[in-house]
Amino acid sequence: MIEDLAFIGQIAVKSSIAVLLATLGEIVAERSGILNLGVEGMMLTGALCAAAAGIATGNPILAVAAGTLAGGLLALVHGFFAVTLRVNQVLSGLALTLLGMGVTSFLGRPLIGIAPGVRLRAVPIPGLADIPVIGDIFFRQSPLAYLAYVLVPLCWYWIFHTGTGLKIRAVGEDAAAVDAAGIDVFRIRYLCTFAGGLGAGLAGAYLSLSYTPGWKESMTGGQGWVAIAMVIFATWNPLRAVVGAFLFGGLTALQFYFQAVGVELVPAYVLKMLPYLLTIAVMILVNVGPGRRFGGPAALGVPFSREG
Amino acid sequence: MIWRIEKRTAALARPHAWLFPVSLAFAVAAGACIFSALGVSPLAAYGTMARGAFGSFYHFSEVVVRAIPLMLTGLAVAVAATMLLWNIGCEGQLVWGGIFAAGTGLYLIPHLPPFLAIPAVIAAGAAGGLLWGLIPGLLRAYLAVNEILSSLLLNYIAIIFMEHLYFGPWRNPEGFGFPGTAQIGEAARIPHWFGTRIHLGLVLALVMAALVFAALRYTRWGYQVRAIGLNPQAARYAGFRIRGQIVFIMGLSGALAGLAGMAEVSGIHFRLQQGLAVGYGYDGIIVAWLARLNPLAVPLVALLLGALIVGGEQLQSVLHLPASISMVLEAVLLFGLLLSESLARYRLVRRAAGEETSAAGKGLP
Amino acid sequence: MAMTTLSSPVLALTDITKRFGDVRANQRVTWTLDAGRIYALLGENGAGKSTLMSILAGRYQPDGGEIHLRGSPVRFLSPAQALASGIGMVYQRFMLVEPLTVAENILLRRGPIRGKRTRDIRQIRELAERYGLLVNPLAPVRTLTMGERQRVEILKLLYRQAEILIFDEPTAVLTHAEIDSLFDVFRQLKEEGKTVVFITHKLEEVMAVADEIAVMRRGRMVSRVAAAQVRSHHDLARMMVGREVILSVQKPPVAIGEAVLTAMGLSGPAGADRLKFQDVDFEVRRGEIFTITGVAGNGQEQLVAALAGLAPMAAGTVSFRNRAYTAARWRRRTGDGLAYIPEDRDRTGSIDAFTLVENFMLTRLDAFGGALWVRRRRAARATAAAVRDFSIQGGGIRGLAAHLSGGNRQKLILARELSRRPDLLIAEQPTQGLDVRATEEVWQALLRQRASAAVLLVTGDLKEALTLSDRIAVMFRGRILDIVSAREAADIDRIKLLMAGLGKRE
Repeated sequence: MIEDLAFIGQIAVKSSIAVLLATLGEIVAERSGILNLGVEGMMLTGALCAAAAGIATGNPILAVAAGTLAGGLLALVHGFFAVTLRVNQVLSGLALTLLGMGVTSFLGRPLIGIAPGVRLRAVPIPGLADIPVIGDIFFRQSPLAYLAYVLVPLCWYWIFHTGTGLKIRAVGEDAAAVDAAGIDVFRIRYLCTFAGGLGAGLAGAYLSLSYTPGWKESMTGGQGWVAIAMVIFATWNPLRAVVGAFLFGGLTALQFYFQAVGVELVPAYVLKMLPYLLTIAVMILVNVGPGRRFGGPAALGVPFSREG
Repeated sequence: MIWRIEKRTAALARPHAWLFPVSLAFAVAAGACIFSALGVSPLAAYGTMARGAFGSFYHFSEVVVRAIPLMLTGLAVAVAATMLLWNIGCEGQLVWGGIFAAGTGLYLIPHLPPFLAIPAVIAAGAAGGLLWGLIPGLLRAYLAVNEILSSLLLNYIAIIFMEHLYFGPWRNPEGFGFPGTAQIGEAARIPHWFGTRIHLGLVLALVMAALVFAALRYTRWGYQVRAIGLNPQAARYAGFRIRGQIVFIMGLSGALAGLAGMAEVSGIHFRLQQGLAVGYGYDGIIVAWLARLNPLAVPLVALLLGALIVGGEQLQSVLHLPASISMVLEAVLLFGLLLSESLARYRLVRRAAGEETSAAGKGLP
Repeated sequence: MAMTTLSSPVLALTDITKRFGDVRANQRVTWTLDAGRIYALLGENGAGKSTLMSILAGRYQPDGGEIHLRGSPVRFLSPAQALASGIGMVYQRFMLVEPLTVAENILLRRGPIRGKRTRDIRQIRELAERYGLLVNPLAPVRTLTMGERQRVEILKLLYRQAEILIFDEPTAVLTHAEIDSLFDVFRQLKEEGKTVVFITHKLEEVMAVADEIAVMRRGRMVSRVAAAQVRSHHDLARMMVGREVILSVQKPPVAIGEAVLTAMGLSGPAGADRLKFQDVDFEVRRGEIFTITGVAGNGQEQLVAALAGLAPMAAGTVSFRNRAYTAARWRRRTGDGLAYIPEDRDRTGSIDAFTLVENFMLTRLDAFGGALWVRRRRAARATAAAVRDFSIQGGGIRGLAAHLSGGNRQKLILARELSRRPDLLIAEQPTQGLDVRATEEVWQALLRQRASAAVLLVTGDLKEALTLSDRIAVMFRGRILDIVSAREAADIDRIKLLMAGLGKRE
């Protein structure tokens, strides 16, 4: 039973890292008021570039960097449209997803079936990995998972306890007020859009270097969309993003487990739906609850111009 | 160097007929670049696509077949967007339309008199989508839940539920493990024409486009919807019931998407199976906006997108280029539209170093 | 006076001109400001006060003229640049990020720096105490009252070492006690040698705190006097409103009929922290124009919104056409008989992207639509008739409302509302911003309407009130102070005093 728990936990964490990284990125972007529905596309691009760089160089660091940066660069396209051109962010984000899906699908063709150049295998952390259960679950994971562990508090600290984070949150709430204080709204929004893309790109790199090494067409399987949902579930807080991502990973792992042991305590489809149902429930609670304490950034999706 | 844009004066602030051609040209040019990069002459590639889409009556009929669900989801998005509502949930509503249609075809039609079969399937499809569309509508109207996110989330739930149905309780017992329901009976299939796969859905879609257009333009209801969409404050002043309209519009939008699902099940697949949710709901968003939310333009844009998809497939089989190029072209088309629309409203100006604002205050304070 | 002549002015505006399209918001405005003084800037709506102040604060750039700060010419391209030079402005719409705390809002530009955080907060506290701006630096702005928010805005400026502080109608959102303490802050700022400029409509505020008074009218600076030279509210009222001449509008006598609308004890709006109007009683009779006037922000807007059924009332009864309604039932009243011309003709009264015909249907769907269809042809005929009768100029009935000028737009709305043949017509600031000809046309239409209906006119324009009205009610701080029949010159003086909150008949 304990082994089962450790096994489920390990798979759960493993399956949650990509969503977690992408969610962190999207939280940063949305905190500044930029809704980027292109996460799926950025993740795929990150995954492909990481896999390609891995095959080309064999260097894990270069592979991760390539994937991450690719996500960030793609996000800048959205930034240009959403921030500078002030177009509708929903349309721009959807176009970005399409672009990412289409481009990776045909650029990735030569890579299908080729042995991955880089495999980021689980690295047990000495000492911590030997803690019963906990060690198995959390400390026998990919290096990128450890990076995610670090990024969560860093991201949280950045948003809630630094000067830049303060400006980001302020821009997402009321860009006009921030502009009146003499702060460059555009620069902050570009920065956050880019950061959001980095998160998605890193998530993609995790998928193609660690989770299932190698490139497969549309290998993200909708995890980018899950990340967007998890941002709401996390009520735009990086710490709570852990809960959302782990919930998603845990439910995925449970499905594996039920399949493996052949019993189904809860129907698999209910498990699969659960993250989305819970997210909708959170959205309702956010609105019905007292005040807007857990609500999203007030200016989410609203372009800024001084002319009003 | 930082670019910033400023509002144009009123003369250019209105939508223009040249937006669509410009974005089309933008996409064609971008596509040409891609083809060249892949080592294929753009002329040859576009020629292949054109032949694939329009080369013969059969080819064109396939374009129409793809366009049918796009017309319906495009209409669904357009009608909601007329009232400033974003229905990103067409995919899920389409799925529910399919589920209801398949369920009716499988379990109800055998007990119905034959003349009721087709109407029952159509009504069921619309009802399935309608119910699924009402959820984000109600949430938005009464709990102020953002319909973009809720309708998006509902897509996953719908798809997961559909998968559960055809993997589980509705699975075809004689399907040799093939994931899908049994085929619906002949009675529940909408008619096909011209010896092609073109089916009744086409007429349905065209009629709906005309109906939606007429309803928005000529009815009291449509007048209110347009007023609310253009200026909610004035609509409130005029005493229109905005909440009720939100619910109604989302229901209608869902029903249109549900019809698309019904048409796919009852006209193409004849069963619930993988391949029902292939993104027509999302493509509908592109169709609606390329059509500038005009219901009469929706079928034409849907045909264009259908041609793009079929042409893309042709690239694959003839030139061995990936079919996903059509997806890229779609994305570029959308970006092109956004770009040209933005440039119609604004002018790009270069921001001088150190200058924080460029001629702010073009309008009255 | 000796002090002002000794020191050179801290800020000098010379021939400032600003145009918005065809509208000249400021025309060759010249003004000098000294350190350690409080200036009140007076004027009617649209006189150009806010534009002038926004130019000072760097939000707009002037089309012509010069600004000299301590003797050297300056040009501000953004509010940030103006603030860096020591000029800050508190806008009517507060520029605060609501979920953030007071301290975070104040420190926004620099951001809280770790380690120095407690020091920053102590600094804010000290600043707040020095000026009597009591507010908790750690409280989220969302939880603050409007008065507290204003203090945060002032603190923001003081923290950035602003020397010239500009306030756009600072008292509009405040309670009486808050106004008093704001004035204490003004005096403290003056003590410290800072310059305070505030825009206001309220004469008693000017008398209470200003050292110098400047009055703008139609984009020009028409007078500047030291407050000490102003002997009474009377003088001030005359300065602000001008020597209004009642235009010779033909006003044929009409028989006064029965009361169409009787308001008793109205208070509201419901659900607000503070009642904007209270215990309002009046009646409007068929055949008369009954006017509610007052300085902007004394509750007229909220009262009209409630009467028009757009906002809920807290208490009172309305009887309309001999039927009595409670406050709650009034809002759900259905049926016609009441037409309303809203103040914001561009955003509330009409829809830019609709044609004239479509706009003409906006409040008349019952007439131009069956249960299902809209009868466009009938609406087009009615619109064409309206365009003819009211000589509405602009792209024809199929043209868009967006292309109409303000006057023509107002005439379209007026024509539409009159075509409803209402028993009561509520007209809110019906000629604001219109040129002389359009104004006269609107006036004539309102006067004609007396023949069949009761007219409730709500206006801040005294000239308009005196020209048109049979009786004038003056609102002050949410209450009707008195109702004056507008027949004698003596009444006019009384109305002015009432508008300033004086001369109430006890």
